[in-house]
Amino acid sequence: MLAILPQLLFTGLGIGSIYAIASLGFVLLIRAANVVNFAQGQFSMLGAYVMLILLVGLGVPYWVSFVAAVVLMAGFGVAFAGAVYWPLRRHGQLPVIISTIGASILLPNLVLALYGPSPATVSGLFTSPGFQLGPVFVDSQYLSIIVVTLLMVSLQYVVFEKTLLGKKLQATSQDKEMASLLGIPVIAMVLITFAYSAALGGLAGVLVAPVLFVSTGMGATIALKAFAANIIGGYGSIPGAIIGGLVIGLAETLGAAYISTPYKDAFGFVILLLVLIVRPQGLFGERIGEKA
Amino acid sequence: MIDITRRTAVLGGIMALGAPAIIARAADVIRIGVVSPETGAAAESGSFMRNGIKQALDAVNARGGVLGRRLEMVVADDQTTNPGAVLAFSRLASDSSIVAFIGSIRSTQVQAMAPGVLRTGRPMMIGGTDPRLTHQNNKWLFRCRPNDTYSAKTIAAYGVQTLGHKKWAVVTSTDAFGTGGRIALTAALKDLGITPVLQQGYTNQQADFTPIVLQIRASGADLISSYCTYETDLGVFARQLRQLGVRTPWLGSPSIVDTSALELAGPALYGTYGVADYAVDASPASKAFAAGYQKLYGRIPDNQSSWAFDAINLLALAIGNAKSTDPEAIRTAILGIQGYQGAEGTYDFDQYGDGLHGYSVVQNQNGTITFIKYVEFPKPS
Repeated sequence: MLAILPQLLFTGLGIGSIYAIASLGFVLLIRAANVVNFAQGQFSMLGAYVMLILLVGLGVPYWVSFVAAVVLMAGFGVAFAGAVYWPLRRHGQLPVIISTIGASILLPNLVLALYGPSPATVSGLFTSPGFQLGPVFVDSQYLSIIVVTLLMVSLQYVVFEKTLLGKKLQATSQDKEMASLLGIPVIAMVLITFAYSAALGGLAGVLVAPVLFVSTGMGATIALKAFAANIIGGYGSIPGAIIGGLVIGLAETLGAAYISTPYKDAFGFVILLLVLIVRPQGLFGERIGEKA
Repeated sequence: MIDITRRTAVLGGIMALGAPAIIARAADVIRIGVVSPETGAAAESGSFMRNGIKQALDAVNARGGVLGRRLEMVVADDQTTNPGAVLAFSRLASDSSIVAFIGSIRSTQVQAMAPGVLRTGRPMMIGGTDPRLTHQNNKWLFRCRPNDTYSAKTIAAYGVQTLGHKKWAVVTSTDAFGTGGRIALTAALKDLGITPVLQQGYTNQQADFTPIVLQIRASGADLISSYCTYETDLGVFARQLRQLGVRTPWLGSPSIVDTSALELAGPALYGTYGVADYAVDASPASKAFAAGYQKLYGRIPDNQSSWAFDAINLLALAIGNAKSTDPEAIRTAILGIQGYQGAEGTYDFDQYGDGLHGYSVVQNQNGTITFIKYVEFPKPS
């Protein structure tokens, strides 16, 4: 059974990267606006549908569709903030959470009403399904997902740590009042975070569409795992979101192969429980006492 | 003293004037409740189901309806979930003007609704193929598809005796449908002296089947057999099988020839075999249904539509034969239907409420489903 380990590791990393990228968008909203967005998975579903409409419906070239889908999702993120977050922002965290849960129900049903129930296929980044590398079949779409995740993490590091915009975003996420006193446009920073978070969700959807197919149910699968990744990695931790996503992807794939396939979905949540028992703040989370 | 306000008087007047019209309308139609997935993972199959129902209703009503009354459907969304199915059925069951129901093609949802159907005491036509559904002392469930005892026997016999495969990998969903299929298939294989080299279950809506594909490869299986509930799962599984270089022949349950599965998986399913309760070329009735469906909806139908089409026609026939909408009379009339040529096959209802007792074997030849043969089993005594 060890012979299949390299293939399982590759696939696990691929699946984990999808969870990681969706979890990243999740975490950014927690940090910037203190919003637990249960509609994050639906951003992925919407991104995939935008890609489908542009690429298959309108015949727009692949790369143009790809970029346009991500950009349109960024715009949708701003509209989402205006409709779901903004009217309730002064009423505490719970109304906003309930509002995002409402959006997570509304969005797939809206797409269902507009587009119909048929699941659909879209092509991947490459025309070739992949190539054999020793014992591993390198699926081109999983490879794309891993590479894009690495690029996004690097880009995020550069933007957040090396640019003025990134520092303003960080300042806003740490203390909105202080950031406002320092002249940072807090509203703009929050809207930028929503836009970026939706773009990340959309990107995850566009990347996963050739693997999972495009359907109104695809968002729910991604959202649950992205949320678990966020808790495993540490509530609100950016490196934690990445590691949490990869841990769940690998746990599912290896657990399914070596322990039990029917309980595949349980392995990620077993790890979640263990983390909550042993290290409640998550792998990279700060203890509340330390943060204070 | 009762104080009658102007608003109350106006409302009362409207009700008094409108009630006879409503009562007359209710008397003009026979209402059939339809529990269908309008939303959720199986929303597409819900639209196919409604297509089949509408096609049958239009035809029945064009012939003058039943007992001189039009047939009408009342749809409730089961949301592709068990709680949703129970809720949808409860809503329909509370309407006493509904004389019978069309249930789900998904066994797990029929299982969830079954206690309610028993309490309600009105017939429900079902498409779920878990054999247990009609064998659990619920006299109100009537199946318009052959159950998985027959699909399993057909798969086992064709795979072992015709294709000559002895090392089987059995991959099934862990829901009621998949579990029922696995139990029936392993029993049918045991009768032929075969023990599968691999039995693997998966939960629905999977993103990745790599572990199962690798286990199949390692098992040395010379045939894959499957009971997959959702076409998206079947599509992902098929594509990953082929991408990881597994070219093992595949003989699946009817979902392998569903329209959606064929569209999603494309070439990954070319060359596979399947058992099908509906095959276009199986009979003159199935061809006529397909021609009508294609004219109306512009695509070739699959079993998601055909069983619902038959369900309406069978109910119309039973109500007509019973000359009544009394539930017990309809039930007796359904059980009395013998030799009815439906789109799915020839209906000979047995005492359990199963109308069909055979399956077609088909092959996917470059995306076209080719009929090979029909296998009929004797009715249980």
